[in-house]
Amino acid sequence: MRVVVAEDLYLLRDGLVRLLEAHGMQVVAAVESGPELRQALIGLRPDVSVVDVRLPPTFTDEGLQAALAARREIPGLPVLVLSQYVEQLYARELLADGTGGVGYLLKDRVVNAEQFIDAVRRVAAGGTAMDPEVIAKLLATDAVAKPLGRLTPRERDVLELMAEGRSNAAIAQRLFLSESAVGKHIASIFNKLELVPSDDDNRRVLAVLAYLNQ
Amino acid sequence: MTRFLLAPARALVLVVFAVVGSAVALVLVTLLALIVTYPMTVVVARRLAELGRRLAQAWGGVAIDEVRLPVPAQPVRRADGWYEHDNQLYRSARVPAFMLKVEAYSKDATAIRDWIWLVATPVTGGLAAALSPLLVGAGVALAAGWLLPGLPTAVAIGAGIAVVVAGFAVGPAVLRVYGLWTRELLQPAHRSWWRRSGFGPWLGRAMKRTWNGAGLAGMALGALGLLALQLVFAVVSWGGLYPQAVQITRPYLDYYRRRAADWTGREYPQPYRPLPAPPLPDETGKYRAGRTLYQTQEAAVRAQRYGWIFTDPATWRDLLWIVLGVPVSVAGFLPALLVGFGLYGLVWQPIVWAPWGIPVGLATGEWVTPWYMGYLFAAVAPPLAAIPGWVTPFLGVVMTGAGLLLAGPLLRLRGAFDRLLLTPTRSTLLAQRVRRLSETRADAVDAQAAELRRIERDLHDGAQARLVSLGLSLATAEQLMERDPEAAKKLLAQARETSATALAELRNLVRGIHPPVLAERGLGDAVRAVALDSPLPADVTVDVPGRLPAPVESAAYFATVEALANAVRHSGAARVRVDIRYDAGASASGVLRITVTDDGRGGADPARGTGLRGVQRRLGTFDGTLSIESPVGGPTVLTMEIPCVLSSPRTSTS
Repeated sequence: MRVVVAEDLYLLRDGLVRLLEAHGMQVVAAVESGPELRQALIGLRPDVSVVDVRLPPTFTDEGLQAALAARREIPGLPVLVLSQYVEQLYARELLADGTGGVGYLLKDRVVNAEQFIDAVRRVAAGGTAMDPEVIAKLLATDAVAKPLGRLTPRERDVLELMAEGRSNAAIAQRLFLSESAVGKHIASIFNKLELVPSDDDNRRVLAVLAYLNQ
Repeated sequence: MTRFLLAPARALVLVVFAVVGSAVALVLVTLLALIVTYPMTVVVARRLAELGRRLAQAWGGVAIDEVRLPVPAQPVRRADGWYEHDNQLYRSARVPAFMLKVEAYSKDATAIRDWIWLVATPVTGGLAAALSPLLVGAGVALAAGWLLPGLPTAVAIGAGIAVVVAGFAVGPAVLRVYGLWTRELLQPAHRSWWRRSGFGPWLGRAMKRTWNGAGLAGMALGALGLLALQLVFAVVSWGGLYPQAVQITRPYLDYYRRRAADWTGREYPQPYRPLPAPPLPDETGKYRAGRTLYQTQEAAVRAQRYGWIFTDPATWRDLLWIVLGVPVSVAGFLPALLVGFGLYGLVWQPIVWAPWGIPVGLATGEWVTPWYMGYLFAAVAPPLAAIPGWVTPFLGVVMTGAGLLLAGPLLRLRGAFDRLLLTPTRSTLLAQRVRRLSETRADAVDAQAAELRRIERDLHDGAQARLVSLGLSLATAEQLMERDPEAAKKLLAQARETSATALAELRNLVRGIHPPVLAERGLGDAVRAVALDSPLPADVTVDVPGRLPAPVESAAYFATVEALANAVRHSGAARVRVDIRYDAGASASGVLRITVTDDGRGGADPARGTGLRGVQRRLGTFDGTLSIESPVGGPTVLTMEIPCVLSSPRTSTS
């Protein structure tokens, strides 16, 4: 798997490269600024890229902008965005084009290497990986809470994990349920939220977020 | 053909209708005194007007759109069986229903137009319509020999027929004139010539200017009384009570400033220096005021007050304004005099003069002039007596017009004069500015110090402590690695958790100091991000071309967040709207204006909440302002304004 890494702090960049390579991925470019990232994304077309939001030269959301620009040019180009903090606003922008293959995680999540690598793979495969903090914020909003009030606590747990981008199997494992029980919960959620069910991980999340976004 | 044949008869009907309508209207006006009959009079007037409208349409051939009276609201029965109106409870629906009706009708502009039409038609449209039947009547009289009996019979009959034919011929035209007059008054107001030509509105404005100018002139002359008071105080008390007299004068002039600001649309800021703070005792226990030391604080305060009054240039500029303003005020009365006199001569004098001037003239053959105070003028300037009486109404028109035209320039002159002497001098403005700056600077420094203390405390109790514990866990794990790998593993896991918590705390802290999204995206997106996280649905509209200066951006951000939080906490609103826009304006620096509107219960008071006062302080550092409009029952509108300049999107490092 060919990966592009964009991170301006040397220590973190080095750590990321080593972590990814340790899991059998090939880092084709490790860049430290927005323009370089744009070039690498469009020139190298990596299978997935791990991008820091804030990059030189402006130290604003240069990384996010480069990723969004590249995805406009190459729809569905898998991008996993990392940041010191998460904003619903950015999550919505990433998900807006509806082509999937996006992730948005707190930098802290790198500490849990397995989960992080899992997220990288999921994004590379065209799925999504949303940070639980984003999901929590989305669900906390009052406008959303009302229709979600119809869900049982268990269904809510399932929905949260679903929104993070987890597969049925992963949800089953996390909640100590059988996979078929998870399937039933999901069908019930879609039913209550009046959404058409689908097998596709990515479309599932998009449907959930589209619903939350309304 | 039938049109011509029927016209004189129709015109006669209209004339009779006009006279009767006018008489009814006068009766209705008297009935107005009995408040109870008010709705009835409005309805009757409308019915008559409606009849006139139809006749004008059918006979005059002038189509007029119908105007309807507003439908008054119905009183609503409360759950406890009472009816409420204007915070008063009533047992039955009758009184509230009546009041609602009165309110609806009295606010309706078309009702008053019905009255004007009814009263004025006999001398306007009605008079025009009378021409046709009059000609017919005169022709018949001529032919029958009742009129001008000296004429030879053949001539009389011939002339009589000619006049009768003329009467029929003009019939449709006079009916049309009646129709046009009726249309002007009874069609929807916005379509009338009066309104569309701009003449009516101009007349209204000019009238307002005329009376406002007279009002200001009157108030300015009234200030002469205060001048006299100051003189009396100064002389009687040998100057001792002079400050008191000045302190009586100032509120009066402040009232004048506010009125002048309302009526001229210009600003008249207060020029007075602020009262100095009372002196504190020095090391010898005495109080210093100027170069003198006093034993007691009261004496020092009194002395200070003298200095405050006597050295303030505004004290003397006020006096100068009162004295020099006399000629300006006299000139300021001119438009009102002209208009008053003109309207009197135009409208009133002919009406009053007619009942006695005409009989006297007929009886004695000596025609008294209808001039108002004509004999007085003639006595002063004999040639004026030669002016014939019938020019009075025309003279009235000219005088009224001259007065109205003069009102604007004279009011502007008055404004220029007032601004010259009643507003602060440059040095006072600077003094006021310095005072404000030192106040806001103190606020800013305080706020900054408090902020730093908070950050220090948060770091000390949070991240710092966690890092210490992290180090401790790692050290212990290092020790245990050999002996008890299981326990070491547990400790390492714990250390990882601690690092995550420390990170989360740092994140929150950073958000409180300067939110990353603000640094990355600017005010608009930062507020959008907050709105997304807000438990209340919030609509954010942003119109800021470019980037604001970083300190302004930060202050505006935190002020907006506080305003949003207030809406969430106190208003009970279901929705909030945030509007952020930059007004480049005409001056060198534009204004950033943020309005936060919620549909909650209202009644917000900045004096009560510390949050809003904090916002005020935060904005004050940038000469920004906060205004709250929050009637009980909502909605609450919070407006924040900060003067600032825009820069192009930022490219330097943050």
